Amino acid sequence: MKKTLKHLIPAGHIYMRDNVLAKDNLAGANEDKSAWANQLNLPHKAEYTFFAGCGYQFMKYTETMLEAARGMESVGIKLDKVMGLNRALKKVGLNLADAAAKIMTDPKEDHYTKVLHSAVSVLQKLGVDLGYLHQDEPCCGSPMYYAGFKEDYLKNAARNFGIFRSFGVKKIIGLIPACTAALKYAYPALVKDYDLKVWHFFEIVAAKLKEADLKPMLSEKTVITYHDPCQLARYLNIVDEPREIIGRIANLELVEPLPEKSREWTTCCGGGGLEASNQKLAERLGSNRADELLATGASIIVTSCPACLKQLRQSLKKKNPQVKVMDLIELIDQALLNAPEQSPKR
Amino acid sequence: MENSAELKKQILDEVAICRRCRMCVNMCPTYDKWFTESSMGRLTAINLHFKYGLGDTKELSDLLYACTSCRRCQQRCKMVSVGVSPADIIVKARQLLVQETQEQER
Repeated sequence: MKKTLKHLIPAGHIYMRDNVLAKDNLAGANEDKSAWANQLNLPHKAEYTFFAGCGYQFMKYTETMLEAARGMESVGIKLDKVMGLNRALKKVGLNLADAAAKIMTDPKEDHYTKVLHSAVSVLQKLGVDLGYLHQDEPCCGSPMYYAGFKEDYLKNAARNFGIFRSFGVKKIIGLIPACTAALKYAYPALVKDYDLKVWHFFEIVAAKLKEADLKPMLSEKTVITYHDPCQLARYLNIVDEPREIIGRIANLELVEPLPEKSREWTTCCGGGGLEASNQKLAERLGSNRADELLATGASIIVTSCPACLKQLRQSLKKKNPQVKVMDLIELIDQALLNAPEQSPKR
Repeated sequence: MENSAELKKQILDEVAICRRCRMCVNMCPTYDKWFTESSMGRLTAINLHFKYGLGDTKELSDLLYACTSCRRCQQRCKMVSVGVSPADIIVKARQLLVQETQEQER
């Protein structure tokens, strides 16, 4: 029998590819991706360009949709069918991502927009001249690469470089590990003449804090553990910077997971695409990782990746809802509010 | 971009470097009891399928898409063995599945 893509490739992956190609975002939402930045007056052009990425901008929709998909799975409808159905509905003009966005109106449930606000606030407090492409920010397209759609990925990457060039972008600060790894390491190997300089947020922040010798402080004593996102630790090799930053913040104590489960040996939480194809496996991985992090006894699990945030929060709901999951970026922002005044440089 | 024959050669050449030392097997977060749940198990399945034409394509697809691309396997390989990149090869094998299927459909 002749096999078609539909038989061989998980529907969740095809769905994400379709979304990137048709809507320029992972979730397939119609909403303006830059709505979060409306009040911030970020210019299009500046020395550094902030790359917000689909994860933080759209995860609230994806989370709601996956929740719905899980619900359908529990009554026996396979995830592949749900994802397929999602695609079919779109063909007749129904967009589940938009529907999900309308259902989800409680801002307390939106754990992602505030990370973006914190990130911009931190960079501005540290004196970074920051711009943002608003609705012109393209989707990096990396889910298409991991799904096996390299041709689509290449076309999208070349198009994106054209967009960056047309806005005079030279230096990018990325937030999401996957997008940043794509822009920093995958694009230069695949896109002709690619010459953009790319940093992850932590690299910039660690360097700036050191340079200005700032000592941020949290208002009360906080004990955290840190989950290294796979892509941050093993694609971008960023394991020291977040620890340097944490080490600088007063009133903040870090309890590490076992050495064979942290830094470059961090174990995958099962977020970031797997839940779109293999829900059961994603849950098992999430549960394992949650146990490893809970074993530290910390009351807050800190990480910095929208997929990890979602997945760990999901896993902890069943195990220990008292333990909070938050993004390190939010903590840095809170701590910088209390940074003692810098002594003027002589 | 490479065509599927070139891509297949690339993949098989990289798999051939693997010394089958199994150092990566336990590193895989998806590994529980089945060898095919591990990075090296997936490389073996890739080799059996694309080199010898063995195994059902859908079954291979299921194994490949169960990888999280977390690269813990290749971190281990880099430090104690020949430095193969199982996670990256697995993504390339997905790409080969897609390309071969698309070429058939055209």
